[in-house]
Amino acid sequence: MNALGTYLIIAALLFSLGLLGVLQRRNLIGMLIAVELMLNGASLNFMAFNRFLAPEPAVGQIVTLFIMGLAAAEAAIGLSLILALFRKLRSINVERAQQLKG
Amino acid sequence: MMKWVLFIPELYYVLFGLVFFILSLSKNASSKRLHGIAMTLAGVGVLVTVFCARQTGMVFFDAYRVDLFSQTFKLLLSLGTFWVISSCNELKGIDERQHPEFYFLISICTLGMMMLVSAVELLTIYVAIELSSYTLFLLVPMRRNADVYAETGIKYFMVGVTASAFMIFGISLIFGMAHTTYVTDILRVLPGVIHEPAAIAGLVLALCGFFFKQALFPFHSWAPDVYQGAANQVTTFIATASKMAAAAMVIRFVGFSGGESEVLVNVLMTLSILSMTFGNLVAIIQKDIKRLLAYSSIAHAGYMLVGILSMSERGFASAIYYALAYLVMNYAVFMVIMKIADDGHNLQIKELAGLHKRSPLLAMTLMMGLFGLAGIPPTVGFTGKFLVFAAALEKGYLALVVIGMVNATISLYYYLIVIKAAYLLEPVRPYPAIRIDAWTRSMSLALVGLSVYLGIFPDKFVALTEAAARSLPY
Repeated sequence: MNALGTYLIIAALLFSLGLLGVLQRRNLIGMLIAVELMLNGASLNFMAFNRFLAPEPAVGQIVTLFIMGLAAAEAAIGLSLILALFRKLRSINVERAQQLKG
Repeated sequence: MMKWVLFIPELYYVLFGLVFFILSLSKNASSKRLHGIAMTLAGVGVLVTVFCARQTGMVFFDAYRVDLFSQTFKLLLSLGTFWVISSCNELKGIDERQHPEFYFLISICTLGMMMLVSAVELLTIYVAIELSSYTLFLLVPMRRNADVYAETGIKYFMVGVTASAFMIFGISLIFGMAHTTYVTDILRVLPGVIHEPAAIAGLVLALCGFFFKQALFPFHSWAPDVYQGAANQVTTFIATASKMAAAAMVIRFVGFSGGESEVLVNVLMTLSILSMTFGNLVAIIQKDIKRLLAYSSIAHAGYMLVGILSMSERGFASAIYYALAYLVMNYAVFMVIMKIADDGHNLQIKELAGLHKRSPLLAMTLMMGLFGLAGIPPTVGFTGKFLVFAAALEKGYLALVVIGMVNATISLYYYLIVIKAAYLLEPVRPYPAIRIDAWTRSMSLALVGLSVYLGIFPDKFVALTEAAARSLPY
């Protein structure tokens, strides 16, 4: 198997592990970390494609930098929302946050 | 011509945001004055987009394309923002200290969506959609006394970031197949390799991010809770402006396949059918009108997809027309809700009882909006559905159209429940009188007039949408 394939498989694994985490975790911080894993899977994909296939040498790396920046902004917003929820429910377990139904 | 002229609408909304950022720093701005400023700025924003409507060109190293397609959507977006802001004169659902931030976030969200419809480079698209999502993540939990609705914001956030992770993973696969991030180059390369599994997977995953914004079937789970939990004005904004930007991007991305892929069409068809059927069936049992409209919006995302998956110019044009129709009729319904529930509470359907006596004009606006959503002639909703289904029939998707028609009939049932409540039921207890100002009155008449006019004489607007669809780069 060539080197590109290895990278792609690792990236897909990271992405699937992250998805599994989002679906299975009941702790909001855990879910946030799992989403970061998914984003890192995408970043790894960009780097690998950039290294092995793309004619333009920097595009994938720039995209990865942007993903990191946006992930940081996303974590800030997510943590602030989690904090606001914690103040009201005294818990960050999603099972406790299920009042809207129907 | 200087190139930055092409960027004027976006620059204007940056300025708009900046004004409210500065106002949010001062402690003593009355909410009435803020509303006045916001309304003026949003009104001028509509004029600016109208003046820039005929511009064409490329900016930022070809990453940003200004054409009739993008300008049409920018006009609709600024119109949606203006309408939402115009009905914020009693913004009771949101704490007064947060009013400047509310206007700030609305204007930045509009900016993000305007950049989204013009972006023709994958990274630009990603950054723009995140800009518009992040502002909405903050707007949704901004509700006064939100103890019951505390979870709304976090639900929206979690579904949203997961969908955007799907999208960026899909974009990485598209980048891997096409070796470029420019849409024009992708359009040249991708139809050739569309039969590779990676290309299809990339395209479908990338579409997930927009399906989330449109509330299409697998990513719909946020819609009912967010519609119910967010303040009425924020819900209106999500239901009108945000939906349109997403529709524009789905049109752009579906075009990547060049109409060559059976698999993609089948996937989209399944999603569209599931979305229509699920949305309409669950809407029947709803008691809260915002929740009902959330399920109806899931169904409408399905109808819109019927036009898009036809992948012809007529199909795309019909989807654009449907987006316009959806803006008009959905806003009409939401405006009535905002006026009746002017203290910012969630309106139950039974509270509409006797509306035709309390305010005949609002009752009529509500009825025309709901008739439009149900697709009854001669309203704009009927013409929209007709064009969408005609485009699908042209491609021979008979089964899809039949399912769509059956769904439209099902949807009529729950829209009529609401109309029955407004016109036939007697209220169990006397509700306070509804105050409507001159602006609301003229807005109601304008919306009713617009929905009938667009329904009976759609030719000019159809011509506009067809020209917009032609200006897409394929």
